[in-house]
Amino acid sequence: MKELRQILKKEFTHIFRDKITLFLVLAIPIMLVLLFGFTISTDIRHANISVMDLSADSQSKALIEKITASGYFEVVSYPKTESDINHDFKDKNIKLAIIIPQNFEEQLTNERFVTIQIISDVSDMNVASVLNNYVKAILYSFTEEYNGNSSSAIELCTEMRYNPEANSVYMFVPGIITLIMIIVTALMSSITLSREVETGTMRMLLIAPVKKVYVIIGKVIPYMILSFISTILILVISVLVFHMPINGSVWLLLFVCIIFMLTAASCGMAISALVKTQLDAMMITMMGLFLPTALLSGFLFPIDNMPYFFQLLANIFPGKWFIIAIKDVMLKGSSFIDIWEYVLILFGMASALMFISLTRLDRRR
Amino acid sequence: MKLPFRKTEAIESPYSIEVKELTKCFGSFTAVDHISFQVKKGEIFGFLGANGAGKTTTIRMLCSLLMPTSGQATIAGYDLATQHKMIKRNIGYMSQKFSLYDDLTVFENMQMFGTIYNIPRKELKERIASSLEMLNLQDQAKTLVYSIPLGWKQKLAFATAILHRPKIVFLDEPTSGVDPIVRREFWDLIYAAASKGVTIFVTTHYMDEAEYCGRISIMSNGQLKLIGTPSELKERMGVDSIEQVFVKFVER
Repeated sequence: MKELRQILKKEFTHIFRDKITLFLVLAIPIMLVLLFGFTISTDIRHANISVMDLSADSQSKALIEKITASGYFEVVSYPKTESDINHDFKDKNIKLAIIIPQNFEEQLTNERFVTIQIISDVSDMNVASVLNNYVKAILYSFTEEYNGNSSSAIELCTEMRYNPEANSVYMFVPGIITLIMIIVTALMSSITLSREVETGTMRMLLIAPVKKVYVIIGKVIPYMILSFISTILILVISVLVFHMPINGSVWLLLFVCIIFMLTAASCGMAISALVKTQLDAMMITMMGLFLPTALLSGFLFPIDNMPYFFQLLANIFPGKWFIIAIKDVMLKGSSFIDIWEYVLILFGMASALMFISLTRLDRRR
Repeated sequence: MKLPFRKTEAIESPYSIEVKELTKCFGSFTAVDHISFQVKKGEIFGFLGANGAGKTTTIRMLCSLLMPTSGQATIAGYDLATQHKMIKRNIGYMSQKFSLYDDLTVFENMQMFGTIYNIPRKELKERIASSLEMLNLQDQAKTLVYSIPLGWKQKLAFATAILHRPKIVFLDEPTSGVDPIVRREFWDLIYAAASKGVTIFVTTHYMDEAEYCGRISIMSNGQLKLIGTPSELKERMGVDSIEQVFVKFVER
């Protein structure tokens, strides 16, 4: 244990001497959350729209009123014909046009079914889908107020349930935590391990009568501690600044984070066991782990919309399982019984990778 | 996972290194081909050979970093096949590649390696102080290793490698890239260690250094071709320097 303590001490000295890395590791998470939260946010306010009201009765006016009052939309014109709508798209830069059919009130009362047509500008797919979701949410609450029951007249968007405001920060926070953990734990530990191999100090450590396990975990634990601090920073900012809910147990959330940290650290160890230089370690971690995690873990693009092959591929990256688990805990308030499979998958990946890196360390030069 | 036959007692022998038919194959390539030799206690043994002759592979096996394909070896009285841990405690190692931590101070480096060799704290402090005094580096204890010259670094690496008082030190081209004066000083350190009974196993490409060794061996294509004192070898080959021995030998 004395040896382990010494290696830990040494590793912390490396970290604290390297002020730039330390700063980046702690500052980047804060910057990322604020950046995603404030700027890259896909919340859209005051989008220009047109409304073609073909019935002009009291209910259609009430609906338009509700759409305007939401704050998401600015009705810039009331076209009379379809060609007017086309002009609005070109000239008034509208993102969306809503067409309320004739006899809106009558259909709503008697037939209990109305089709409202939405024409949206899909040149920016994200904006379009966000706006569509807003409209759906408004229609949903409109019909609910009107009927007072669930036999609603308009098709509903069920994905909105856990995030009724479609607040994008809620979606980004789990993703950011995942990426930060991969950078701080997997990337930094693969770099620090391969740096020792590259400079030859690893050989000095392996020649010394120290257990191999101590050498590896002594080098990796400091980065796990750093990434845990980053994770807590991200969570605090999300809760304080963006009012993100943590509906489940905070302890369960932190437990899942620790398990993912183990997985990320094992990825770093396994990568460093396969390469000989820091540069290789960095490239492989970025290209082979960070990028696929960003693209495939469901945080930027929904996994359900991917081609089947990529849906399968997404399964081998731990990020996917972690994001599902923490989203469930934070937004749905799930308990351990609901998410144990994901935790088990992450733990299994961690054990397998750790085994690979320990058996491969012998072959290092 | 302790195996029942893993003993901690050493075998008494006048030799500190005994190698019998040691072989290492990487796939179909034989890097080290049935080599056998003995090194006496306190001897300075020069291990020569062209690049790629198998020297580094041999050293890695003797330091128990690499499992031999076949053959036996006894290091400091311990069996290479079964007593790894005892061997590791009793050997020191230093390579051509400077291998201390650049971003730690001189003192921190020595303390770090001393501690992982389990030297008690107080004892370690004393040993570090006396090593630094011997190297004339007392004033540099708190300097980052990064900022001291290469020659000093190599001497520091040697002092660190013998801090735990090993019975054998393996030096893999310890003086490559340093100036002649530092090389001279480095050899003074080697002699000082050898006079205290430490066995020195050194590889080098400098033929003048080979002359300083008690005995030398020349390796080629994984085999040990020549072994003897520098004067014996010169006599046997009918030349008057080790450099000529080496060249003549490699040309054959």
